[in-house]
Order: sequence, then structure tokens, then C-alpha cells
Amino acid sequence: MERITNHPILGPLKGRKEAVSFTFDGRELTGLQGEPIAAALLASGIRRLRRHEESGTARGLYCAIGHCMECRLNVEGRGQVRSCLTPLEEGMWISEGRQLSNEITGRKLP
Amino acid sequence: MKRSMIICRCEEVTLIQLKAAYESGCHTSRQLKMKTRAGMGACQGRICRHLLETWVHAKNPESPPDSELLPHRPPVRPVTFGQLANGEA
Repeated sequence: MERITNHPILGPLKGRKEAVSFTFDGRELTGLQGEPIAAALLASGIRRLRRHEESGTARGLYCAIGHCMECRLNVEGRGQVRSCLTPLEEGMWISEGRQLSNEITGRKLP
Repeated sequence: MKRSMIICRCEEVTLIQLKAAYESGCHTSRQLKMKTRAGMGACQGRICRHLLETWVHAKNPESPPDSELLPHRPPVRPVTFGQLANGEA
């Protein structure tokens, strides 16, 4: 996906950010230092950030301001973080949330 | 799963489920929450609380709007113990 470098209201992008590399589910990707993880993934064309723990349906960026917890991801060493708020750093090892086993609760999906 | 509008994204509660719960006798937002788990997920109702309460009120506009509203639980923002210990929050 294309990055906006000249915004109609905010103007041209100020200050060059360094490119950093990170890993998402085993894929080597590059993003800009300090941008939200979700933005780096979106720029790499990844919209599905996790799967719903119970039903396994796809989830992505939703509110983008840290309210909804829909974009939470696992970052190695940090646990679950909201990818819309967490700045990207060099060498981050990120994995998406997966559907979990439902054998214990036995709850049936409607 | 039958396709329907999702009300609560965290617990994946659809409008069809809400309607079924309403028909089974859950007439306040709190009763609907207990029946369907709407508002009990990761965001703790930050997204669906208003939808749910507005929907319940629309079902019965005569009732007072604040008869049984869902509670807001602290903290306002989720904070890890690590952040608290390091004074980051």
C-alpha cells in the first residue's frame, strides 16, 4: 500500500524516518522507525492483524486510537500490545493472534 | 454462523443474538450483557456500550434512559504491572 507523503491538509511529510527491519509471522519486512506497528504492516500490505480467539474470523485495525483492542498483537518480550499505539523498533519479532482451542469451555458458537 | 451485524466485536455478539436474548426476557443492557457476553471482551465495552444501550432504549423508548446502565471499570486505560513499577503510566 502506498504511503501518504504529501497530505492535502497536513502538508508534506516532515523529517525523514530511518528504515528498520522487523519480522511478522516469520516474514521479513521493513518499516519506518517509530511509526505505529499497524502503520508499518499496512504499508506492507498486511491488513489482517489477528484472528478472533474463539471463532477465528479475521480482525484488523479498527479505531486506531487505542480504544478497541482489535489490533492487539504479540511482540516478543513485551507480550500483547496494541499495534496502533506501539512504535516500531529495529528487530521486533511480531506474531499475529491465533484462534485458540475451545476444548475446555466447550462453548458452542451460534 | 448466520451473517448478521456485529454489535460487540471482542466477543463477536451479533444483532440476531441480541434479539434472541431480548425475546428470551433480557430487557436491560445489563441482562443482555450477562446473557450474550456483549461488552465483556478485551475493550470492556468501550466500543459497544453505547450501541447496546441505545438499542435497548430504542426497544422501549418509554423507559428512563439510565435505568440500568453498564458500569465503567477502572483503569480508564489498560496498564501492565511492569509499566506501573517503572512509573511509565
